[in-house]
Amino acid sequence: MSKSILKDAFLGMRRQEAIDLVEKGLRSGADPFTILKECRQAMEEVGKRFETGEFFLSELIYSAEVFKAVSSILEPDLTSNWPGDESKGVVVFGTPRGDVHDLGKNIVITMMRAQGLTVHDLGVDVPPERFIERLQETEAPILALSALITPAFISMRETISLLVEEGLRKNTLVIIGGGVTTELVRKEVGADAQTLDPTEAIKLCRRYIPDRSV
Amino acid sequence: MIPETMSRQERFEAAVALEMPDRVPVMPLMTAFAVHCQGLTQGEAWRDPDKSFKAMLDTFNDLGGFDKLYKPNLYWPMIGGKLCSAPARNLIPGRDLPEDALNQIDEKELFTREDYDRLAALGWNAFWDEHYEKMSGRSIERLISTQNRLLDRYIKEVEACHSQGIFPLFGASVDSSIMAFSMCRTLTQFTMDLYEVPDKVKAAMDASCDDLIQNALDVISLTKIPLVFIVLERGSGFYYRLDIFEQFEWPYLKRYVDAFVSEGLTPWFHFDTDWVLNLPYLRQLPRGKCVCDLDSMTDIFKAKEILDGHMCISGDVPASLLTLGAPEKVRDYCQRLIDEVGKGGGFFLTTGCECPVDAKFENVKTMIDVAKTYKGKS
Repeated sequence: MSKSILKDAFLGMRRQEAIDLVEKGLRSGADPFTILKECRQAMEEVGKRFETGEFFLSELIYSAEVFKAVSSILEPDLTSNWPGDESKGVVVFGTPRGDVHDLGKNIVITMMRAQGLTVHDLGVDVPPERFIERLQETEAPILALSALITPAFISMRETISLLVEEGLRKNTLVIIGGGVTTELVRKEVGADAQTLDPTEAIKLCRRYIPDRSV
Repeated sequence: MIPETMSRQERFEAAVALEMPDRVPVMPLMTAFAVHCQGLTQGEAWRDPDKSFKAMLDTFNDLGGFDKLYKPNLYWPMIGGKLCSAPARNLIPGRDLPEDALNQIDEKELFTREDYDRLAALGWNAFWDEHYEKMSGRSIERLISTQNRLLDRYIKEVEACHSQGIFPLFGASVDSSIMAFSMCRTLTQFTMDLYEVPDKVKAAMDASCDDLIQNALDVISLTKIPLVFIVLERGSGFYYRLDIFEQFEWPYLKRYVDAFVSEGLTPWFHFDTDWVLNLPYLRQLPRGKCVCDLDSMTDIFKAKEILDGHMCISGDVPASLLTLGAPEKVRDYCQRLIDEVGKGGGFFLTTGCECPVDAKFENVKTMIDVAKTYKGKS
């Protein structure tokens, strides 16, 4: 399978073509990890084009769905031949208590996974204690909190206070995002970064985990 | 205080017509905030519409009054009337959500990709007559009866408001084409449809547009408030490239505007998300007839540059500022809006989208007081 053809299918927003190419590649004995890497590189290019304004959010959404589809095809082969931890970093992600919106969160998570990050998605309306528990279990260095309504600010602040109490704050990068967040909110809740841009969120993660970046 | 020489309605009409009112008109888009201010839970307010109506009026008065009342109650759909928006389920506090949570739309696929052809063949209303029960397990008659009951209540509450010199903002609320279809398919699936079956989407939209317009006109004929609140979010340059906007949103929005303006109605564009890329198109619409309402994600100062002298702008005190900011920061921002966006007229000072439930009362009061006291540099 030609690497550029698969990439073109991603960049041209042609889901079925990408699926057909991946299936054909597996049938002809191509290495599933190589195919996955090519898909991730294509997604990285999607992200770059989004940053330059050539692509819009819709292209992120579309290509993320293509990535999900090809990942599910590759998954059985990847699982049976897993070479060990290839994760580029671990993120705990959720919508804080008081908010049940998840549209933006889900898009960012798919983009993060497509670029090699391991994301523990805790869902919506997540209490502070659950974020802390999962950070402790996974030793994830990054906590991402997404919100669309203002009552989530209190939960963000409580979660970050609990991080301090549990001695996790200085080793955890806290990123907030979602339509209602601003720099003022970042300062008020005590987060490290705020963004509305999925590719910026990924960049922030990469910067924080430089030795393992893609 | 600035001496008031206009009535609330005259002030609003002057702003829409791009004239200089006696002072800048002002309105927080409040619903859940008012309930919270009166010490009710959101669940109590949803269960007892008399209490929530009273909460709205009491909060209006506690804030010293303002020029338009966004809504007299917690309606969903925005107000009744047949199918002016996607018939999505609304999750209600105390019933589907915790007692004091905010109501939320339960965004699910209401029809499949295969249904576009049927929509194209039947149009919006006849499609739902056929499809609604299959989709929800409930009869369309029940939905329409609920919507009409809400509409009757809305009309009574509007009359009660008018008797107290309070003016609810809109006579009908209707989704834009992309908003209606995206809410029916979900953002992700609708986006996939736009890339994979654009002709089917287009045909379905072509067949639905007139029904959506007529549904809104039918509601207006009963509420008698000559303003149509058009819900726009998902057609913006935040989500889609301009060729998608040009194909799937703009032609229908123009049809909405033509139909509404020819009936003497004011189209109010409720633009959530960032619309800065799309704003130049609005200059093609009739001058001084519409309102461009921004939620603080669109750069309102840029909007002023683009729409100056052509369309009234409404906005955009940010939710985060109202919730977390100090009153002096709110005052500074509102004064800047009046100085820059209000320069030369055509400005309505409002919250950026809905006033957050946990906004500080003094911040909302400050916003209203600035409009009443600050004349601006111009």
